[in-house]
Amino acid sequence: MSTGSHQWSGERIFFAAALVLALVMGTGLCFLLVAVNKHEAVQSKTIDSADIVPILPDHARQLVDFSLTDRTDRTITRAELAGKILVVDFLFTSCSLTCPVVNKHMAEVQQLTTNQPDVKLVSLTVDPRSDTVDVLAEYGQKFGADTNRWLLLTGDKTQLHELIATSFLNPDLDDPFTYMPGNFSHTDRIAVVDAQGRVQAYFDGLNENVAAAIVAEIARLRK
Amino acid sequence: MKYLMGICGLLLAALLVYSTFAAPDKAAGSTAKMFSARGIVQQIAADRQQATIKHEAIPGYMMAMTMDFPVKDTNELNRIAPGDEITFKLVVNETNDWIERIQFVSHHIGAVTNKTVVIPTADFDLKPGDLLPDGELTSETGQVVHFSDYRGKVLAFTFFFTRCPLPDFCPLMDRNFSNARQLLLNNPYAPTNWQFLSISFDPAFDTPEALANYARLYRNDDAGHWLFAAASTNVLANIAPRLDLVVMHEGLSISHNLRTVVLDPQGRIAKQFDGNKWTPQQLADAMREAAGKK
Repeated sequence: MSTGSHQWSGERIFFAAALVLALVMGTGLCFLLVAVNKHEAVQSKTIDSADIVPILPDHARQLVDFSLTDRTDRTITRAELAGKILVVDFLFTSCSLTCPVVNKHMAEVQQLTTNQPDVKLVSLTVDPRSDTVDVLAEYGQKFGADTNRWLLLTGDKTQLHELIATSFLNPDLDDPFTYMPGNFSHTDRIAVVDAQGRVQAYFDGLNENVAAAIVAEIARLRK
Repeated sequence: MKYLMGICGLLLAALLVYSTFAAPDKAAGSTAKMFSARGIVQQIAADRQQATIKHEAIPGYMMAMTMDFPVKDTNELNRIAPGDEITFKLVVNETNDWIERIQFVSHHIGAVTNKTVVIPTADFDLKPGDLLPDGELTSETGQVVHFSDYRGKVLAFTFFFTRCPLPDFCPLMDRNFSNARQLLLNNPYAPTNWQFLSISFDPAFDTPEALANYARLYRNDDAGHWLFAAASTNVLANIAPRLDLVVMHEGLSISHNLRTVVLDPQGRIAKQFDGNKWTPQQLADAMREAAGKK
């Protein structure tokens, strides 16, 4: 009887040990599953947006002060845009292929952010001598730009170029057949500036999915 | 008992498998070391799995330097951008290191942000009274001509290329030249020392032959006072930036803006017309005015 009871308690210990082990394992497996799921989620997200990866600034870039004129002849300063998330592109209105595509995508961003008052769109011309207030007014209309939400800015060339070069693009275009005021590289990119005035990322403005990617970036910045 | 041993064996095997998978976490818990650190983010990788941080000395581990660190939880970089000062924990075990618990401290404006960029000043732009730098052009007859060949005359030039598809761009410029030429020829009081020059910025395609064919469309049979020519890349590189002339090859086409310049008989800038909103009359008037200058 005592042997029997001893044997029984031995079995009990075994069961208890097995139970603890099962619990540990169960928990472990749970974690494992969660980890695997998370891993897959990250992977699938990467695949979805694989064709449109945000391009991060080559160095820290911050929106510098400026005072420019929009197409309704209003003076727009950096202070006026403080606290807003900005979607910024670069243009010259006589550009016949790339700029219209990029600005079509800007129009899509405007559409997708209709109810987001903390988002503003900004277009900076590299050729203010050609792109006067009147010329930009006509150009903005062509893309259905909302005068309050999408600002097309012109003004003093030196100031515009300093703004673009300091805050956004490098004036280092190396193409012997291309002449453009400011000589900026990557003028077909769209930049996203956070509410603190920091350039967070650039996107390929020619990519047909760029508007969705920018809207996703804006959502990320609000987190 | 044998049955139980079997279960135990299975459980042990499972535990072994589990411990293999969970090894980094276990290591982190047992043998990993954690250091508190502070630094300024220099760069964040596109996938946000690595950050370049210029960090202060990490006591007991390393001196101040700029380093790439793997980021454990990429979500922690959500509100962080290059230029931000952060605090973080550096975790190091036998095989790995990473950073975690990233906290935003402040944004460092001016510390590492906004490199100073030198932009050519407005003095670089050609203004009325400035001498146009000379340059060589290849004419529709295959001859080499220079801007300076027209000293003593009022010279108006504009830019185009013969394949230009937009009717309100290059063709408009040439129609305007055509009409302005007519105005000057028909005006008995107009000066006679003047010349028009249509300059192609597409020398590879716009050979003398292509230019001559194109010229016929706008000039009929009278070539008087109006020459078509192509500028070499060198000439354009010299002049375009000073006129804010845009010439950008896009696929088979060329995106460009419009610049029309009037030089006085001394080769100095007398007047410039930007864009396409000017009239032949305005150009003819500017030519007469420039001719009157001593």
